[in-house]
Amino acid sequence: MSDANNPPKFTGPGSPRDVPPQPGDHGIDPYNSAVPAPIREELLKPDPVALETSAKELKDGTNQCPQCGATDIRQKPGTDLLICAFCRHEWQGQRVEEEFGLGEGQDQLEGTIIASGARDIAADEAVLRTFKCNCCGAEVTINTESEMTARCHWCRNVFGVNQQVANGAVPDAVLPFHIKKDDAIARIRQFVDKRRFFALKAFKEEFTPENVIPVYLPYMIVDGKASAVVAGKGEIETRRYTRGEGNSKTTYYDADVYQVDRQVDFTVDDLPLESSSERANLNTNTNTNNIINTIQPFDTKNAVKWNASYLRGCSSEKRDLDVENMKPRLVDQLLSIARARVEGSVNRYGRGVRWEKEGLKVHGSRWVSMFLPVWLYSYWDGNMLHYIAVNGRTGETMGSVPIQQWKLILVSLTAGTFLEGLVIWGMVVSS
Amino acid sequence: MSDDGSLALLLVGPAGGIGLYWALYRYYRNTDKSHAFERESKVDAKPVTGTDIKVGTNNGTRESSIKGNNVSDYRERVERIRSDSS
Repeated sequence: MSDANNPPKFTGPGSPRDVPPQPGDHGIDPYNSAVPAPIREELLKPDPVALETSAKELKDGTNQCPQCGATDIRQKPGTDLLICAFCRHEWQGQRVEEEFGLGEGQDQLEGTIIASGARDIAADEAVLRTFKCNCCGAEVTINTESEMTARCHWCRNVFGVNQQVANGAVPDAVLPFHIKKDDAIARIRQFVDKRRFFALKAFKEEFTPENVIPVYLPYMIVDGKASAVVAGKGEIETRRYTRGEGNSKTTYYDADVYQVDRQVDFTVDDLPLESSSERANLNTNTNTNNIINTIQPFDTKNAVKWNASYLRGCSSEKRDLDVENMKPRLVDQLLSIARARVEGSVNRYGRGVRWEKEGLKVHGSRWVSMFLPVWLYSYWDGNMLHYIAVNGRTGETMGSVPIQQWKLILVSLTAGTFLEGLVIWGMVVSS
Repeated sequence: MSDDGSLALLLVGPAGGIGLYWALYRYYRNTDKSHAFERESKVDAKPVTGTDIKVGTNNGTRESSIKGNNVSDYRERVERIRSDSS
């Protein structure tokens, strides 16, 4: 036993006073002939790596036409194609679903797999990034908070942020816009036309849907494999009877009470979660972000490998949440999905079920960062920013139209008074 | 007509007014809308398993459904079983 006043010195490997070894250094030479074969195999196995999705061919920021080499590349409206503005050559971006095998293996998921564009955001990584134009050598600054492409002000060469910088600005994939601006304007106009009577007067006067802007919003697309358990009480009616006479009749129920337990194993494919902390805040008392949340789902299966040229002429929002920040939300949504799945198994409980306990085990999850396309019209009513949003792929439209409160209250009061008058008249007549 | 019945009838007017206000407010502001990920996500689930054990009776109640019925309130969280590893 050691003396309490003179504890033994830490000497061996693993002591907290030792300098940690270099990455990949195990302190054992695997090529030493004295090392048994199974241990050697284990040491030489490659380390698990995240899904590498970066576009190495675009790392210098220049996206060149494969036919003529020009850099003036943009998305062909309404399609997933890129088109060269110089020679009109068109080509298709690679779908990440096939490129990185994201559409399969959900039931094999183990641990947390993070694609390279969804990695943690480095705290010291700047939002303003300076790039050297590889055409003339000038330095051009891009604010990655909202823009992903720029034109060199000296030589007019176009380049984009294609390198996966660690500030969260560059995702793994992008889902290009399909809905064109005219279509989005028509949908927003139709949405508002059905909500004009009680709309705020200033909103109606200033309504200019032509000001709608295309925005790429950051999401994490998550595949997951989980098991859930729920437990509670369920009741089955055994008898129903009435007591009392005339108007004082009361219905009574007898029921059997059961302890109900359910388990379900499931996988989820492409669950979208907002990866901007501002958009993830869905408190309808303070914001209208639920509007943008509502226009989901997107056909994320058709997302293509990141290429900044898809963002020409569009605004974008930077991701500011890491996977760890978003895990509680994933668990919450998986629990909700589990509760929905078990509902069909408790149909026999005619008086319903009161779930009292629930638990979830996430066996594995795969996180891919993606830009999704949204047409956004906004209006500030002096208190809150109201959004009208159009899904850039499906055209699904949702919005928050600010209300002329006095008008709505007046009409509601009038309707209530009219109803009350009818009731009183009926009571007088019947008495 | 009983006093209870008369009182209930007199509440029809205010309830109608408040109901109309709330319905129109929601139609304009859509504060109750969000992504229905429970229904709209691609979920591949194995068959649900479980047990049902009768533990008692609830006789003579005036409630037409179980107290705290939350079978369709998927997003209402209840006590978490602590053995999970999520």
